Amino acid sequence: MRILAPTGFQARVAARKRIYWTPFLFLAPYLFLFVSLRLFPSLIGLAISFTNWSAVGVPQWVGLANYQALFVDPRFRDALTNTALFTAMAVPALVGLGLAFALFLNQPHRGRGLGRVAVFTPYVIMPTVVGVLWTWILEKDFGLLNVLLGRQIPWLVSPSWAMLGLVLAAVWSMVGYNTVLFLAGLQDIPTELYEAARIDGANAWRSFWSLTLPLLAPTAFLVLMLTIINTFQVFDLVYVMTSGGPGTSTLTMVQYVYTTAFQFFKFGYGSAVAMVMFVVLVIVALIQTRAYRRGLESIY
Amino acid sequence: MRRRNAIIAALWYAVLTTIVVVMMAPVAWMISTAFKPELQILTTQIRWIPDPPTLEHFQAVLSRHALWRWLINSVVVATAATLLVLLLDSLAGYALARMEFTGRDALFAVILSMLFVPLQITVIPLFLIFANLGLVDTYAALILPVGANVTGVFLMRQFFLSIPGELEDAARVDGANDWQIWARVVLPLARPALLAVAIVTFLSAWNAFFWPLIATRSDAARPLAVGIAQFLTLRPGLAQTVQAYGPSMAAATIAALPPILFFFALQRHFIQGVSMTGLKG
Repeated sequence: MRILAPTGFQARVAARKRIYWTPFLFLAPYLFLFVSLRLFPSLIGLAISFTNWSAVGVPQWVGLANYQALFVDPRFRDALTNTALFTAMAVPALVGLGLAFALFLNQPHRGRGLGRVAVFTPYVIMPTVVGVLWTWILEKDFGLLNVLLGRQIPWLVSPSWAMLGLVLAAVWSMVGYNTVLFLAGLQDIPTELYEAARIDGANAWRSFWSLTLPLLAPTAFLVLMLTIINTFQVFDLVYVMTSGGPGTSTLTMVQYVYTTAFQFFKFGYGSAVAMVMFVVLVIVALIQTRAYRRGLESIY
Repeated sequence: MRRRNAIIAALWYAVLTTIVVVMMAPVAWMISTAFKPELQILTTQIRWIPDPPTLEHFQAVLSRHALWRWLINSVVVATAATLLVLLLDSLAGYALARMEFTGRDALFAVILSMLFVPLQITVIPLFLIFANLGLVDTYAALILPVGANVTGVFLMRQFFLSIPGELEDAARVDGANDWQIWARVVLPLARPALLAVAIVTFLSAWNAFFWPLIATRSDAARPLAVGIAQFLTLRPGLAQTVQAYGPSMAAATIAALPPILFFFALQRHFIQGVSMTGLKG
């Protein structure tokens, strides 16, 4: 084919035409939305965080004043610690249970399909509905959980229990997602490896520790990352179930962004809170990637 | 040995039953409460089957709130957003995977970097943009930002990289241009990837809450996720909320059942789509 193709100047012009314009046309519709509704807003968000912009008046450049104010803002400190607490409670449960469910449902028994459907079903229910449902389940006097426990735990109405109540609802609704990811990871492990290990005399326990776990490490890392990112940005459940209360006991970062920016219309200050979230997420991602590389080196 | 296997199997089924019961109990309780007469709701007796079942909560919720309107809004927005994403991302993903042009890799890196920027950062500027365009409280405000997503493009690109180039070469020899190759050769091959992107996009558009909460003000565009949260938000400590559990659960049932049924019908595709986008996105 190449020999028959036109050579020289004309060919280069033709080639240039094809090379330069078609990709641009393919990309243009997406790039238009991406640049105007994602890239540009992100940069503007950064810029707004250096201003005192609110709904009224002309925004003024205030430098790092918003960030300085954050340092001494008790509500911000509450939001940060609450979000860290929620993440610290929900992530081990979500990753651990997700892994346990996946290992369990990967066993070759009939009925595991039913188990998978049951575990994943809560995930397809919208989070605000999950919030409404769990508000009722966690109700102090007549809620299903307290009735079953035979106690009257003030789940969502006491500052010391509210966070745990949110974690319960979050774990129930999101564990199926992690299970599915872990199951996909398990199914990627070639069965020949297990046969080889069996021939070499490894028992089930041994092949679990020496084969399954190391080979599942990349999946586990990914699941951990996604779970941290998702739980750190928790909002829907909090908004519906406690709206940050009682007091500030369940006030989270996103909830704080929402109230400062869209209830008190402090766009500058709200943007600064959002930027802090971004920085925390990037730091977490960096630490994890590092730990992950080191972990891999120690395995292989 | 056989006896040991039987014991293990019995244990396995016991655990399975526990898992299924624990995971499904809240859903069953929601549906059960929705059909219960008021007197059977606020009681410490556990009754799974309402006796007699009643539709009063459904009637109350549907007559008092624009539930159907929210449902229609959600269906329209999620469907339109999904179609938009399928079209834009399969075009862009194809160009990024298969076409040579200067700056392609840099462009892809820029797109990918936005994966790490949380939505909350963009939401304030996004609101200002749509407010300036006068598009707050419209479908456009809910649909267009979904088109700027990163995961779909990434997934489509990865998929197009994985298909062999011979088919495209053959089509090119037959005189097809890039558009024809994209439409007639590549897209039909990409059905599994398109389905995965479609399911995940639809689900996330259907569930979306933070942006729609900010971008809508009236029932005209308000999606189900926001509508349910707005009127059913049960503030702890407020006495009157105790009355609202029947209607709340009726509304929750109406909102939860379509995706659950949809999921039951398409389980395999759902699970595949979610694991594909999760692992690769």
